[in-house]
Amino acid sequence: MADQEKLVVMVTHGPDEPELATIPFAMAGAAVASDVDVVMGFQGNGCLLVKKGVAETVRAPEFAPLGELMSTIHELGGTFLVCSPCVKSRGLSEDDLVEGAEIVAAARFVAEVTSATTSLVY
Amino acid sequence: MSQIQIQETRALDARGLLCPMPVIRTAKAMKELAPGEVLKLTATDRGSIADIPAWAESTGNELIEWHEEGEAIVFFLRKSSEEA
Repeated sequence: MADQEKLVVMVTHGPDEPELATIPFAMAGAAVASDVDVVMGFQGNGCLLVKKGVAETVRAPEFAPLGELMSTIHELGGTFLVCSPCVKSRGLSEDDLVEGAEIVAAARFVAEVTSATTSLVY
Repeated sequence: MSQIQIQETRALDARGLLCPMPVIRTAKAMKELAPGEVLKLTATDRGSIADIPAWAESTGNELIEWHEEGEAIVFFLRKSSEEA
């Protein structure tokens, strides 16, 4: 087998755009299923998807439910990183976020992207 | 059409699951098999026709055969003898 590959998926769309919010989770889900190391980064309204209870409310036609995808990605070892200023500006704290979500700043995102095999931005 | 008789070790019913859950459930089920054992996957998501062969190739598992049975797509996958 080749060395472990790493995919970074940046999410910038929130629950008001279910399809664009769900597609990055579908990609990340397929990646963890393919033994790819996955980091998901949430910026802008994407942060709202990792607020507790929100993912379960998002459904895009013909895609698996976002809540199921999120819990599966977490279970299979995916990492969720959330933009610090984006969280603060929306009045959220770490306690408001789903289990496993970590609040980080720009330099961490840069480190993840520059060390990844590939990055996708949605 | 004649079909090869393949004896599966385990069957996974992924009918009704949407993209990308058939691939995710397949990956989880394959992790529980020993090298050389066979998973029979039944799905209805048409995307599986492209997804499962791509997944098998990227993970080094063998897609032995697939065919359609009415609305369903049936895949037989053999677990790789290599450790991932």
